[in-house]
Amino acid sequence: MDLNETAQESAFRSEARTWLEANVPTSALPSFDTAEGFALHRAWEKKLYDGGWSAVSWPVEYGGRDADYIMWLIFEEEYYRSGAPGRVNQNGIFLLGPTIMEVGTQAQKTKFLPSMASSEIVWAQAWSEPNAGSDMASIRSKATRDGDEWVLNGQKIWASRAVWADWCFGIFRTDPTAERHRGLTFILCPLDLPGITVRPIAQLDGDTGFAEIFFDDVRVPVANTLGEENKGWAVAMATAGFERGVSLRSPARFTEAVKRLIHLWKTYGDPSDTALSDAVTDAWMQAEGYRLHTYQTVTGMLEGRTIGAEASLNKIFWSEMDVRIHEIALQILGPEAERMEGPSQRWVDGFLFSLSGPIYAGTNEIQRNIIADRVLQLPKGI
Amino acid sequence: MKFSFTQDQRLFAEGLRDLLSKQCTPTHVREAWENQAGHLPDLWSRLAEMGVLSMLVPESQGGMGGTLIDAVLLFQELGRAAVPGPVLEHMAVAAPALAHTQWAHALNDGTAIATLWVDANPYVAHAQVANIILTHDSVITDFSIDDVHGIDGGRQLFTVHAQSTTKASSEVFGLPASDVMALASAAYLIGVSEAMIEVAAEYARQREQFGKPIGSFQAVKHLMSDALLKVEFAKAPTYRAAWSASTGSSTVLRDISMAKALASEAAYRASRSTMQVHGGIGYTWEADLQLWMKKSWALMRAYGDATYHRRRVGASVLHG
Ligand SMILES: Cc1cc2nc3c(=O)[nH]c(=O)nc-3n(C[C@H](O)[C@H](O)[C@H](O)COP(=O)(O)OP(=O)(O)OC[C@H]3O[C@@H](n4cnc5c(N)ncnc54)[C@H](O)[C@@H]3O)c2cc1C
Repeated sequence: MDLNETAQESAFRSEARTWLEANVPTSALPSFDTAEGFALHRAWEKKLYDGGWSAVSWPVEYGGRDADYIMWLIFEEEYYRSGAPGRVNQNGIFLLGPTIMEVGTQAQKTKFLPSMASSEIVWAQAWSEPNAGSDMASIRSKATRDGDEWVLNGQKIWASRAVWADWCFGIFRTDPTAERHRGLTFILCPLDLPGITVRPIAQLDGDTGFAEIFFDDVRVPVANTLGEENKGWAVAMATAGFERGVSLRSPARFTEAVKRLIHLWKTYGDPSDTALSDAVTDAWMQAEGYRLHTYQTVTGMLEGRTIGAEASLNKIFWSEMDVRIHEIALQILGPEAERMEGPSQRWVDGFLFSLSGPIYAGTNEIQRNIIADRVLQLPKGI
Repeated sequence: MKFSFTQDQRLFAEGLRDLLSKQCTPTHVREAWENQAGHLPDLWSRLAEMGVLSMLVPESQGGMGGTLIDAVLLFQELGRAAVPGPVLEHMAVAAPALAHTQWAHALNDGTAIATLWVDANPYVAHAQVANIILTHDSVITDFSIDDVHGIDGGRQLFTVHAQSTTKASSEVFGLPASDVMALASAAYLIGVSEAMIEVAAEYARQREQFGKPIGSFQAVKHLMSDALLKVEFAKAPTYRAAWSASTGSSTVLRDISMAKALASEAAYRASRSTMQVHGGIGYTWEADLQLWMKKSWALMRAYGDATYHRRRVGASVLHG
């Protein structure tokens, strides 16, 4: 064990820091859940790509730097430290990209990865349906084969950023006789095809961060199938694994949030309130614990271990920690925490969003079931 | 000892519930949020006619002559319906505090609308609909306002610039306005929590996943039960605080603080659990749940948050 950075890692860190310091926009961009903000975030992604920083862990040939997981975490630390904008194409770069690299054909890699790295194409995830949320295996949207095309019909919902995204990926029922997890196929689909209707859905804060996507005889080439036909569930689980595991919420997001929390406490906190200082300290320990756990996990991955159901532990931990960090901040802010603008805005927005963490990427109730069944090997419930 | 409400008190509360179930549905509340009014004028007139607005005003001054025991169930009902606008401020503080002034009549019949400016808060809720703002020692009727964007559309927040003020007191039953409001908002938050729990329980009965109602899953049952536990155990302390306030008990401040601390925490827990039970739809503007959730996030902090009030309880039980 050696918890020091190697010379190569340190050099990488300072290269990232130098570039970010020179390039990060000086004022915060508007929310990417608005048309204007989305366009500005897309432009930022292009700049990142041109600098070679949009997908550091990807192979060089697709626009990455071949960075290993440790370097990726270092990049993330520098990224959050710099206050750079949120990643509008996270569904593509962090989730779909790695899945394509794992199961995609060479033609798919060549076609989809470079435009993903540059965010010329921004991706939305289309898993959930009105009647299939936690029970994703009960989806009803279907794809019917017609020559070398799929004909898509059905309805997806809660697709983040789909109002302005260019393409979506999701699973569709391709074998109507097969039940549940069987007979599903993972399909990639442009969002501007005839037959597609995208209905914006306003989130709790009033911004249209979600959309419902209706498919009415939408035709896509069979070449847009990712992985094997009727084996889409396994592909989807690989994508979900990336999401719950390390890629969606890297530790830096929380270590930086806790730094801001400590700053807030120093500015407004009552030092004689020991319950408050304990809470802030605990938030620091949680973020630090998550960071250490993640470095340990990725070292294991570099040594050839895979993460399975343990990813569910991560998802619960970061989502509950995120809520806690924001609860403490709002408590410190007092009457200011009732405002949606002004000095408290970032914390209040962050609080609202943190509440969705225990819901998206598989609810925490479902994660607890997975841990109980698959990690603890308890008798299966449903 | 007898720890219960009278038949009259219960009937009055039921009458109010009945009125609110017709005139303050989630559709009405949403309208008040979305048209920026933050207030329902028709409902306001009905609340005046029914005597809700003047419940705490002495009969000699044209009011109902009620006590805080009479009012506490009404605060709770108002919360169940997430009534927008300054009803608590007007009813619990301004109308009784100004009962012997030139504004008494207009406050009783609702033609004047009052809100409060409490010292600890730089912002004034509901200033856009109010024509009277009461501070701890004055009445402001001539003022301009700036919107500072409160999270709760039924409790909009403003900074206020007073042009001229008239001396007055905001004390009610010998208690500072902020304490009366802590009691009123504790009861209101209990109603808010009850409503969230009802809405989520209904959702959990209807919504199916894995071929079963989600309410059949233990994780969901426990979320809901834990929320209910907190609310149920905040009720008796809140009713006790109303009794202490009505009877001039020496422990009234401790009791109000106990109520506000517990009700704030119960409402927060209920907001979290019920949103979680809703899944994705709980995170939308469309779901009515937000009307109560945002109310709880606003009122849990207004008039002293749980920490502030727990300290006051502590000061009394540990150092008293
Ligand atoms: C901010 C946000 C972004 C999202 N982005 C996307 C996206 O980009 N693409 C996409 O496809 N989806 C997205 N979603 C949808 C998300 O994946 C679903 O909301 C989630 O899977 C839950 O499904 P549901 O909303 O249908 O809730 P339900 O499945 O109906 O769940 C309701 C409640 O029941 C509980 N429950 C259900 N089954 C069980 C069980 N077996 N045991 C115990 N409890 C159970 C749940 O935990 C929850 O508390 C997003 C959601 C949010 C909030």
